[in-house]
Amino acid sequence: MTEPSDRDLMGRLAAGDREALEPLMERHYQRLYRIALAYLRRPDDALDVVQETFVKAYTHAARWDGAAEVAPWLTRIAVNQAIDIYRRRRRRLGKEEALDDAAPQALAVGDPSPERRVLGQEIGERVDSALRILPERQRAIFVLRHYEELSLQEIAQALDMSLGTVKSSLHRAVARLRERLEGVRS
Amino acid sequence: MTFRHGRWRRRTTLLALGALDEAEAARTRAHLGACAACARELTESRAALELVRQDPLRGAEPPVPLGALVARVRARLEEAPAGGRVWRPFLAGAGLLAGLVLAAVVSRALLPTAPPAAPSPAASMAAAASEAGPVADSADAIRRLEHTLERERAAHYLSDAQDVLVTVVSAPQRCARRRNAVEVGPEAERSRELLARRRLFVETDAPSTVVARDVLDDVEEMLREVAALDACARPQDLEAIRGEIARRRLLMKIDLVTRELQG
Repeated sequence: MTEPSDRDLMGRLAAGDREALEPLMERHYQRLYRIALAYLRRPDDALDVVQETFVKAYTHAARWDGAAEVAPWLTRIAVNQAIDIYRRRRRRLGKEEALDDAAPQALAVGDPSPERRVLGQEIGERVDSALRILPERQRAIFVLRHYEELSLQEIAQALDMSLGTVKSSLHRAVARLRERLEGVRS
Repeated sequence: MTFRHGRWRRRTTLLALGALDEAEAARTRAHLGACAACARELTESRAALELVRQDPLRGAEPPVPLGALVARVRARLEEAPAGGRVWRPFLAGAGLLAGLVLAAVVSRALLPTAPPAAPSPAASMAAAASEAGPVADSADAIRRLEHTLERERAAHYLSDAQDVLVTVVSAPQRCARRRNAVEVGPEAERSRELLARRRLFVETDAPSTVVARDVLDDVEEMLREVAALDACARPQDLEAIRGEIARRRLLMKIDLVTRELQG
């Protein structure tokens, strides 16, 4: 028996079948978590993004265009959720300290030695501080490319942008990161 | 730096990101042989990207199993079947408050009441205080909520407008349909959408967004210029807009005002 496609599962969600949630989540939740975590830098917030993405996928399933790809649609919801959470956090904490409490935590990558863990944490903080200066959409585009390795076309499709906008945003994002990380590298 | 060279710089960045197709990557590499500045930029971009690649959050797995997440989603759907956002109790509370105030106003208007006997001045004042107190508080809360939403809408609008203007300012693509022209069709279309959105949703004269009035006006003016461009625009038209954006230091002002709006 063949696996139902993403579109099949979305069709079932649109018909109110909540049992379709689990197989759809199984296919996409790790990817969406990684995107949200790279963007927001906090595991709790990233989990909230994943949760709300699938809540929205269910509640908005009837509005989903049946011909559209499911993965980019979910990505767009997740990115918008991440931006919303980021804005709320910034409002709550004040812009200057918005991400100060957002140092990487609960790192779930391997089990490195204490030295490597310290080094990794330092790098994480530097990257965090560099990503913080990017405008919201620019940061999302950079995360989708550099962390998830989506093609430029996939990013344009997911964020409903022109290819030119994606390219120029990436160029600007890398230019800013270059400036920001210059001192760290030298 | 020429406009043409700006395109090479962008391609250099995309090469560092591994985002060029083979043909374009080959052309860019050939250019790098003759352009020391671009070659240096490539080296620096690669070093910065390599550092980001070592981000310990890259490739992290969710700290909870799938089953737990599915349970969370189901619980959320149980508690908010209409898609409400439970993590924003403030909004929910304000909505309830608004409903109560509306109900009070409607019931006052609809319920038949006997003509009141002339009360004493003291009794009138006491009654006015006891009736107006909660309603005034409620109205105040709604007003605060409206202010917050107005500021949020204005900040969101400015952030989206900034994306468009930054694209126009930085490095638009050459137009494939016309020689010596640049492709700005998507930016022109997006500008028209944003102008329509501003008319519908962003209040310039609201007290909550008055701080943004000048920047909103400048942004509108620039978006109108972009919206009026042909999809394949003349570089000099684009250059004029770019110069105007720079002269007004508009991108920096948008950043500052957006932060201000976001509190």
